[in-house]
Amino acid sequence: MSNQITPIVVTPAELHDKLAALKAEGYDLLECLTGCDWGEEGLGVVYSLTKSSTTFEMTHIKCVAESKEQPTLPTACDLWDIANIYEREVYDFYGIIFLGHPDMRRLFLREDWVGFPFRKDDEPETKNAEVPAGNEEISDTRHKYTLDAEGNLQCEDSPVFEEDAYVVNIGPQHPSTHGVLHLRTAIEGEKVKQIDPHLGYIHRGIEKISESLTYPQTLALTDRMDYLGAMQTRHALCMCIEQAMGIQVSERVQVIRTIMDELQRIDSHILFFSCLCQDLGATTAFLYGFRDREEILKIFEKTTGGRLIINYNMIGGVAHDLHPDFVEDVKHFINETMPKGLKEYHSIFTGNVIFRDRSIGVGPLTREQVISYGCTGGTGRAAGWACDVRKHRPYAAYDKVNFNEITFESGDSMDRYMVRLKEIEESCEIIRQLIDNIPEGPIQEKMKPIIKVPEGCYYSSVEGSRGILGVYLESKGDKSPYRLHYRSTGLPLVAALDEACRDYLIADLITIGGTMDYIIPDIDR
Amino acid sequence: MFDFSIFTKWLDALMLSVMPEWLTLIIECVLVALGIITLYAIFAMVMIYVERKFCAFVQCRLGPDRVGPWGTIQVVCDVLKMLTKEIFSPRKTDRFLHGLAPFLVITASMTTFACLPWNKGAQILDFNVGVFFFLAVGSIGVVGILLAGWSANNKYSIIGAMRAGAQIISYELSIGITMLTMICLAGTMSFSEICQAQADGGWFIFRGHIVAVAAFILYLIAGNAECNRGPFDLPESESELTAGYHTEYSGMDFGYYYLAEYLNLFICAGMASTIFLGGWAPFVIPGLDGFNEIMTMIPGFVWFLGKVFFVLFLLLWERWTFPRLRIDQILKLEWKYLVPISMVLLVLMALCVSFGLTF
Amino acid sequence: MANKTYFAGLVGGIKSLCTGLGVTFRELWTPKVTERYPENRKENIIPERFRGTLVMPHNENNEHKCIGCGICQMQCPNDSIEVVTEMVETEDGKKKKILKQHIYDQGKCMYCMICTRACPQGAIEFAPEYECAVFDRQALVKTLNQPGSKCAEKPKPAKPAAPAAPAAKPAAAEPNGAAPAATPVAPAADDKKAKMEAAAKKAEENAAAAKAAAEEALKAAEAAPEDAALKAAAEEAQAKAAKLATVAANFQKKLAEM
Repeated sequence: MSNQITPIVVTPAELHDKLAALKAEGYDLLECLTGCDWGEEGLGVVYSLTKSSTTFEMTHIKCVAESKEQPTLPTACDLWDIANIYEREVYDFYGIIFLGHPDMRRLFLREDWVGFPFRKDDEPETKNAEVPAGNEEISDTRHKYTLDAEGNLQCEDSPVFEEDAYVVNIGPQHPSTHGVLHLRTAIEGEKVKQIDPHLGYIHRGIEKISESLTYPQTLALTDRMDYLGAMQTRHALCMCIEQAMGIQVSERVQVIRTIMDELQRIDSHILFFSCLCQDLGATTAFLYGFRDREEILKIFEKTTGGRLIINYNMIGGVAHDLHPDFVEDVKHFINETMPKGLKEYHSIFTGNVIFRDRSIGVGPLTREQVISYGCTGGTGRAAGWACDVRKHRPYAAYDKVNFNEITFESGDSMDRYMVRLKEIEESCEIIRQLIDNIPEGPIQEKMKPIIKVPEGCYYSSVEGSRGILGVYLESKGDKSPYRLHYRSTGLPLVAALDEACRDYLIADLITIGGTMDYIIPDIDR
Repeated sequence: MFDFSIFTKWLDALMLSVMPEWLTLIIECVLVALGIITLYAIFAMVMIYVERKFCAFVQCRLGPDRVGPWGTIQVVCDVLKMLTKEIFSPRKTDRFLHGLAPFLVITASMTTFACLPWNKGAQILDFNVGVFFFLAVGSIGVVGILLAGWSANNKYSIIGAMRAGAQIISYELSIGITMLTMICLAGTMSFSEICQAQADGGWFIFRGHIVAVAAFILYLIAGNAECNRGPFDLPESESELTAGYHTEYSGMDFGYYYLAEYLNLFICAGMASTIFLGGWAPFVIPGLDGFNEIMTMIPGFVWFLGKVFFVLFLLLWERWTFPRLRIDQILKLEWKYLVPISMVLLVLMALCVSFGLTF
Repeated sequence: MANKTYFAGLVGGIKSLCTGLGVTFRELWTPKVTERYPENRKENIIPERFRGTLVMPHNENNEHKCIGCGICQMQCPNDSIEVVTEMVETEDGKKKKILKQHIYDQGKCMYCMICTRACPQGAIEFAPEYECAVFDRQALVKTLNQPGSKCAEKPKPAKPAAPAAPAAKPAAAEPNGAAPAATPVAPAADDKKAKMEAAAKKAEENAAAAKAAAEEALKAAEAAPEDAALKAAAEEAQAKAAKLATVAANFQKKLAEM
């Protein structure tokens, strides 16, 4: 059970044709796009493609740009909508220019940032020695680069918004963007015409920091990305490292991790419900959600010692054995608190005529759109795309349990909401099957004092609280990763926001944003 | 029932006996103004406290309980905080209008507040066209909100103000029609006479039976919307427009909006109790003389406040249950449901009155 | 609702609103969940695994287990630990590295547990202390080894601390010496009680140790009344002892209830 990958290497000239051919073959989900600086070999990217409708089989394409001074690659924006934002991320960090990309702006860093910090030879501290104190000027110009006949780079500029657009800043400090997300929104009266997400307010460069940390140290940062999927993110990284090193964790650990992941998922979905209620003005239902969520946090706290930043999964096991009260507490939660809570949620909010009117038919995304945008998780399943990797690429103890993959048809806000509420029930069901059958065994495999991953590329993914969470790990055999990239679950959701909100009202933007369920620290890793 | 006008007349006569008429008038005006402002402030604080406690209890919380016994001093502290905060107006605002807007809102609110009949004879403004005056003055408030949105030079504010304009002007229609329904029954527009009629012949909500009950519910919905209170709080909808039309206000300028919001709620509840539940009129059951005697012994203002707080309970209960409406829903509710239904009610009431089908 | 007729929509809508009103009305009378924080300090027992602050447990002779190897300092991703050591000559003439100061900057710590897991001696652990707010950032820089403390001599060198699960130690320290790995899936009540007893015992030991340390610190402070730092340390030790005593009492109370 190795997760090692051997990317197919193609030249920049063949890249686009190869990608198009693979897409036609059924690899129609661009799951992950990782930029990398291979030193002497040059700068390049790895495309991770998935057969989204059938087996969820993956293939990886590696392409290295020819020149290091002016690296260029052809864009894949015409094949996948999500390529737009992924390629901007690569451009931002590695300076690889994607030819034909309609909007080659920086994504996370400030416009006035000098250099491309993820390059191994970049010196961000010296180049940006003076910390800018002024307001950030946000560029309103898109750049489209092409090569002319002589091979020189040509830049074609176009405005982001139309000239007379009435642009309202939703965020970065705004009650319903759930963090520091900045949506520049062009409106016409109450109608949303265009959204330009401006990201990076809390980008901490976790991927870059990880390159200078040892493997156990990188774990400490995972809980700080998607804080409502802390268990799952850390699970993904631990699993990736373990499989890369060929460590088989015990059955007990597998089951514990599965239960914890599901508790975390319930936690996240309850918070989703609460925050959606709050966004729509139903403050009371918000607190009902928080009241029930508290019980999960208490369970976490007893066993792991943490509530939000949990630090539970470790390479080769988990940090603590289950608390003596764990089984009892979890049973109480899944058998009493949660069914009662769900009943209450449905009567106060789901059935409410105001909410139904505000969510049914609002912001629908079709199955094709969610695949093209890579919107996994509840958002994808609401549109009828069965994209649960717990089912399609089972890991931990998910192949031993029976549960339904909840899918809906129309992909509107109501469906996105219902998917999550139904998934709470499914998660309870998974826990119910496992909680009485936790096998015995060690909670921690014996590890060497210094953990080194053998040379190679590795990719692992788990079903996070809001979609596929992938970890791309490239190792040179050192005690630190050479490149560690996380497939953010939230970035595709934000990318799809423009499409979903267009021609709906401002109030619908809040509903759609709420039901998309993105978490900002996960977008701004 | 104690007639409060006996006291006011006595005071008036007393002052006239020692000072000239113009001075008496001035002193009386000042006294009345002070009375309104004090009552206004006190009731605003009571309302804020009641609302915070109520919403906490609905939400499985305890609410403010740190300052003073059961948190009673909390609101006083908040008011003091607001009074001491800097009043700040951002660059490029229209200073004059920006400063003026809160006063329009607070003036409208205070003037309508003065229309409430607190007790028999204890009413500050009493006209023969009292209802008309109440509606007219009440609608000045929306001008203040529109000015606030316009002058602040902020996009959130202007969107909020536009929503407020659309909403308040629409809902005034159904408020007017439902009040008209009850005037139809009362036969007068003077609040004192409306109350007197109910004290003599029973509360209108009973006399007008089904039609009056329906009008009462309609009035509460429309009144709630008129106050910009959730679920009709779109003009400030904090999760969309951060604070809507008063985004750019701080300190006491913001405090005026805050006070006005709560007092408008109080006024809405007060008006509902006046025209539907008899104002200061006690609850009497014809035939039960002993019971009636006890009821009549309870002072009128206690009756009035009791009814007001009952209506407030209904309004708060509803406010803390429902999600916010969207702008198209709010207008649909008004034009598709409330206006046609209130018109039907008006016709029904007219028929009931003319055929003597009321009690 | 758009496809429904006017009246069906109206009635359905009102019905759904009334359902909601019913829920809130019922909730009005349910028990409230607010934690009344400063008053509930006694009832509010923080789980023992909670990571509040890093501590170095000392025994009754004011001895800790730290040998000053500095692994925690090396492993810390945030540089929040500084281990200051010095070389001393032991009685038999050998040179030996001993711990002088174990400086822990709580302001930098991200509670990742790497240090406690890496420590080969099990000398440091996280304590469920949660009132860590201070007015001065400097106050977050703490010296974990108590004044005058020294490293405990190892009487039984063949008993290595389990570095894999330091916080699970109370569970492992079962009186009958059962293998810690054989933790049953659904712990029986008596087993739980045994664990509780062990935990209570440990808490009492901790309390006793802290008390002893506090007394010693107090003595040291009295011996040198002009030294403000010693005095502060003594006060802190006393406060800690009091707190640990409360924890022990709580355990006893819980035990009695079982």
